Amino acid sequence: MRQVWIVLRREYLERVKTKGFILSTIAIPVLMLGMIGLSAFLGIQAERSERELALVDYTGRIGEEVASRVRSYGYEMELVDRVVALDELDQRVLEDELEGYLVLDDLTLSEGVFAYRGKDSPSALRRALFENAVVETALELHLSTMESAGTVRALIEGGQLDYESVVESTGGEGAEVARIRGIATGFAGAFLLYLTMILYGQYVLRSVLDEKRNRVVEVVISSVTPWRLMLGKVLGVGSMGLTQVGIWAGSGAVLALFGIPFIAAQFPSTELGGFLQYLPGAGDIALLAVYCLLGYFLFAALFAAVGAMCSTEEDAQQAQFPLVMLLVVPFIMQMTTIEGGGFAWMDWVALFPYFSPVMMFPRAVAGAVPWWMVALSLVFMALALVGTAWVAGRIYRVGILMQGKRPTLRELVRWVRTA
Amino acid sequence: MTELAVRLSGVTKSFGSHTAVSDFDLDIPRGAIVGLLGPNGSGKTTMIRMIMAILLPDRGTVELFGGFPDFARRSRVGYLPEERGVYEKMKVLEQLVFLGELRGLTRQMARSRAGHWLERLGLAEWSGKKVQELSKGMQQKVQFIGTVLHDPDMLILDEPFSGLDPINQDVLEAIVREERERGKTILFSTHLMEQAERLCERVCLISRSRKVLDGDLKKLKRQERSGAVAVEFEGDDRWLMRLGIRDIERVDDAHHLPVVDQAQYDAILAAAMQAGVALRRFEVLEPSLREIFVRHAGEQAEEPPMAAMGGGR
Repeated sequence: MRQVWIVLRREYLERVKTKGFILSTIAIPVLMLGMIGLSAFLGIQAERSERELALVDYTGRIGEEVASRVRSYGYEMELVDRVVALDELDQRVLEDELEGYLVLDDLTLSEGVFAYRGKDSPSALRRALFENAVVETALELHLSTMESAGTVRALIEGGQLDYESVVESTGGEGAEVARIRGIATGFAGAFLLYLTMILYGQYVLRSVLDEKRNRVVEVVISSVTPWRLMLGKVLGVGSMGLTQVGIWAGSGAVLALFGIPFIAAQFPSTELGGFLQYLPGAGDIALLAVYCLLGYFLFAALFAAVGAMCSTEEDAQQAQFPLVMLLVVPFIMQMTTIEGGGFAWMDWVALFPYFSPVMMFPRAVAGAVPWWMVALSLVFMALALVGTAWVAGRIYRVGILMQGKRPTLRELVRWVRTA
Repeated sequence: MTELAVRLSGVTKSFGSHTAVSDFDLDIPRGAIVGLLGPNGSGKTTMIRMIMAILLPDRGTVELFGGFPDFARRSRVGYLPEERGVYEKMKVLEQLVFLGELRGLTRQMARSRAGHWLERLGLAEWSGKKVQELSKGMQQKVQFIGTVLHDPDMLILDEPFSGLDPINQDVLEAIVREERERGKTILFSTHLMEQAERLCERVCLISRSRKVLDGDLKKLKRQERSGAVAVEFEGDDRWLMRLGIRDIERVDDAHHLPVVDQAQYDAILAAAMQAGVALRRFEVLEPSLREIFVRHAGEQAEEPPMAAMGGGR
């Protein structure tokens, strides 16, 4: 065990200390966060222009209310007396005293049409806010004279389709949210699983290949059994992957925790709270972790075996093709059925251990398959892991000391038999 | 407890149509220092790799410390492969500590021993550098340290001196001798006859995958002493002709005379006295290892094509 630990530690430290790792792990998220933050900040700054806005209300009925609504979004707004000539206001805009001004008239009340006069066209956000303020105010005015105001208001707000499952006790109100959350989590999870397995699997392959090519393995193998060496290597790369994913997930969580409330605080009118409910729960994340670990080990063992049977980079590129297919095929199949169950037989395909991470996890979080199928897929994966590790260990043992041509399938079988 | 560190019996190994080692027997007693000698491509490395169980023989048996070279037995050996294997991106000291720990040393012990060895081989100031920043010779010394760090019972060194400058060769030779004094068994391969002559008690000569000779170097030389005599003198050389010995060879100032038995030595001496020449030198010549080798194997002009070696290196 100590030797496994020593190999693991070397593998881990030597990877984590490289510039590439630091760059890809820390710099990229920081850079991305920074850029998102910066653009958000700049955007907000631009919206919060120092310069004032003004409003001329020829109807004399809604100006006050519209101005106060616009102010509530964080803008300075001056309510201009309607006797002031527009020329005068234009002049103030041209002299940069005003950013621009709104003109409301009878058409605004009857059809919601109003004007914004300025040097630059308003941003999409500003346009939406103005429209919202004006239309809401005009609507309120009309509704206040109506008897059935509540009904009209409700209808304007838009109808709502309530899904009622004919199957008993599927979660009431939250069901739709849960469904969307399931699909989103499943999609993101499948992508993450696919990425980690292929990315870190190839790290393992490269590590094995490098050690074999520079012959270190011949020295090391006199002090440590091939199995321990392989195990230490797979665990070491895995730990590196955990660190990397952990840092990414951590920075993502930080972004979610601080970024979303921050943005929400800037724009009180928008409903960001609604977005939060689509984030995955702890149970989903735990399941993702289980699939991630099992999937990683399953493929890491295979990639280690491929690395051991090759002698050159080009060899390895070719030899890993079947493994990459083993990852890509379920991913493509999953994409076609992302909106739900798809064909029933695919649920059974998802039980194939090498396909399970990418195919069964999304089904599990979307509630598309019964729990026992999820459990069964985990059992299958565990069994497959034992078998794969056994075969891969044998190929590894023979392969790391072989030089020259890549073995044929028949030779591989012999290696596994005789190792 | 057997007295043999290594025993090969009837070992044969082929790669495709090329036979790298053919029906080879070799016994290496414990505590011996043995040189494996032969030209490039004669099968030295293949043999060593079989002793380390990196390759398995097609026929015959390889024993290390009295049994199959399994993991436990191999870990008693410090092995320096011909193609140097180092983690190029690791720092020198870290690499040595890693190897030491892997072989059962504690971290502190590995660190202090590695430090000591680096000091001794003049690499102390490089200990924090990545291995790839070192010259080939320095890398080789680092790897040599990795070989001896865990104080193994036996050292198996494949061409340990190639690529080193004479000064470093001497340093390494001194260390090998020292390890031998401390009771270690040492097997090393080389194609440099003179080096083997300086260092070995026993030699094993290989040519074209077959053993030519092996045994105690001194005994071999005595056995192989063809009895040539070098005679150097001032004066007329007609007395030499009268001896009736054929194939007298002139080498610089000396005459080399092939001699068959003791009586002839006496006859030569007596004749010289009689002729009244001033004798400067009279020496029974011992053959050099090179001469022995050439005598037994013939000149190895032709080396096997590299393609045939593909699987074996």
